Amino acid sequence: MKISVNTEIALTYLSARKKQTIIAAMGVMFGISMFIFMQSLMKGTNDYFEKQSFNTTPHIRLYSENKVADNHIMVTFLKDPSYKLLTNPKQLIQTQGIINPYGVIHEIVKNPQVYAVTPQVTANVIYTSGSVQLTGNIAGVSIIEEDRMFDMQSNMLNGDFHDLDRVNNGILIGKGIADKLSLHTGDNITVTSGTGSPTIMKVIGIYATTVKQIDETKSYANIIQVQNLLGKDRSYVTDIKINLRDYNNAPQVAREIETLTGYKAEDWVQANEQLKAAFKIRAVILNSVIGVILLVAGFGIYNILNMTIYEKIKEIAILKAIGFSGRSVISIFLQQAVYIGLMGGFVGIVIGFSITYMVSRIYIGAGTLKYLPMSFYVPHYIEAVCFGVLTTLAAGYFPAKKASRVDPVKIIRG
Amino acid sequence: MDNILALKASGINKDFHDPVTFPVLKNISFEVKKGEFISIVGKSGCGKSTLLYILSTMDTDYQGELFINEKKATGLSLNELAAIRNASIGFVFQFHYLLPDFTCLKNVMIPALRLGKLSYKEVEDKAYEKLKMLGVEDQALKRADKLSGGQQQRIAIARALINDPAIIMGDEPTGNLDSKNSKIVFDMFQELAHNFGQTIITVTHDEDFAHKSDRIIEMSDGAIIKG
Ligand SMILES: Nc1ncnc2c1ncn2[C@@H]1O[C@H](COP(=O)(O)OP(=O)(O)OP(=O)(O)O)[C@@H](O)[C@H]1O
Ligand SMILES: [Mg+2]
Repeated sequence: MKISVNTEIALTYLSARKKQTIIAAMGVMFGISMFIFMQSLMKGTNDYFEKQSFNTTPHIRLYSENKVADNHIMVTFLKDPSYKLLTNPKQLIQTQGIINPYGVIHEIVKNPQVYAVTPQVTANVIYTSGSVQLTGNIAGVSIIEEDRMFDMQSNMLNGDFHDLDRVNNGILIGKGIADKLSLHTGDNITVTSGTGSPTIMKVIGIYATTVKQIDETKSYANIIQVQNLLGKDRSYVTDIKINLRDYNNAPQVAREIETLTGYKAEDWVQANEQLKAAFKIRAVILNSVIGVILLVAGFGIYNILNMTIYEKIKEIAILKAIGFSGRSVISIFLQQAVYIGLMGGFVGIVIGFSITYMVSRIYIGAGTLKYLPMSFYVPHYIEAVCFGVLTTLAAGYFPAKKASRVDPVKIIRG
Repeated sequence: MDNILALKASGINKDFHDPVTFPVLKNISFEVKKGEFISIVGKSGCGKSTLLYILSTMDTDYQGELFINEKKATGLSLNELAAIRNASIGFVFQFHYLLPDFTCLKNVMIPALRLGKLSYKEVEDKAYEKLKMLGVEDQALKRADKLSGGQQQRIAIARALINDPAIIMGDEPTGNLDSKNSKIVFDMFQELAHNFGQTIITVTHDEDFAHKSDRIIEMSDGAIIKG
């Protein structure tokens, strides 16, 4: 292999001052490994919370929104904006829920992105056990579909959720409800809705999610049971829950379904706005920390090169006297920066991966979170190297430029 | 000898402004033919080194015009001048400056590696050959800063010769050498000038050395008074 004379000189200078070279490279190494570690932790955490949110939220929820009617179409038709349309959901009794839900589902399933669709009836209820009362809500679902979408099995504390389909008037309650009403699997509970009469149901199981608020309010029952509880017929459905093959497409598919059905389709991004906000805040924190680390690493390189140039100013003058152009001198010093960056970057990747791996093995056991969620995501490593090289180039450029401007006569004359 | 001009200076003036403005070089004009061996002599402080820095294209802060190989060097960009120095001018400094982190051999090789005309191996062989001519080939693999003054000076001469430059300039290239080594260097310069057509311009305080060369230019107070 033929290496250029500039490279040879750069390498000689680096190896002539091993200690400083290693210290500067360690700065970069530290920056890169922290970059990788923090990115992995953040992506891991974000992915975890994202996945967690799908334990309770579908990718898309379709429901009928109580909207005050607008006069848009009437005005278009009559061509006279002075006509007003007076309706109010408070006064006008409208059909609630989704009209012809199974027809709607039939249409939705045709979308190739859709992976699972299930109807649901939700209602606000009062749970009563003995003299203790608790308000909450009950979801009438097809429990098999629910498990397919939300992995109910992983949340079960005791009981078997399949009993919802087998036991008449069975109910699956959250751990918070069970604690507050001191209920166990097999006990009875009275459930009262706003429109129907009180019904005695049998607790067939208890579940716990990571969200305390859900565990304290939400219970599941068979959809027919809840329709009965509300005194409604079999076509009464309040929500249609839709999961997609790729949840990242949810906002776009939601818009499609909205235009197709005319109902409000809320995607998980809208439903979890606070989650997205948390992601953004975490990203800002992370980026500032990484920025500071890389800045410090950059200063390390800037420093060592500045020192080299200060010490080697005579030699730079000689190089220029024997015919090295300003560009060659820049190349010599920039190369030193790049080698420091590459050395630090390479070791940084190895260490970053090791730290990430080790931390991912630390048992923390908080709720359902047993290990810290770390992601091993190749683009992080590529990004880290790019950032490292960019920092080194930026830090090396100014000293190199300074070196290229050395006036040989001034220095050699002394 | 050809009648091609290796170097031509016309009306060169230079002032220093520190601490007060005073002229170091006053209207210097002369010509050097290809293959000529010239000595510049004069009292200490008369401006010999200053003139040599201008002739070597390193110093661009002067009035007047300079031609190298009949091509105008005045007004060229710094990078163009660097290329001219690399290919056509070998310079031996008054205080033999070597690169201390490198071996003597590398010091000699670097200008040739920069020029990039020969392979690494060829450059190495050539560098050894030059070191041998100057009697320092046994020092080749030592670090440059470990050598005695005279040895360093000879390494510096070898470095100036490595690219077979058209013009070799020396600022007292034998200042640190004993009479035996001075003679070796003189004979070498003479052979390069007369047999290989390389032009030699040296500043020297050695009267003997100056008188044996082809032509003496004598300076006093920044002006040429003879030659
Ligand atoms: N950077 C400078 N600023 C001001 N004056 C300078 C500077 N460099 C040199 N001089 C002055 O210019 C004059 C010529 O200096 P120069 O080095 O050319 O002398 P020289 O003939 O080479 O002397 P020597 O034989 O001792 O090497 C001297 O008077 C010196 O003091
Ligand atoms: Mg001098």
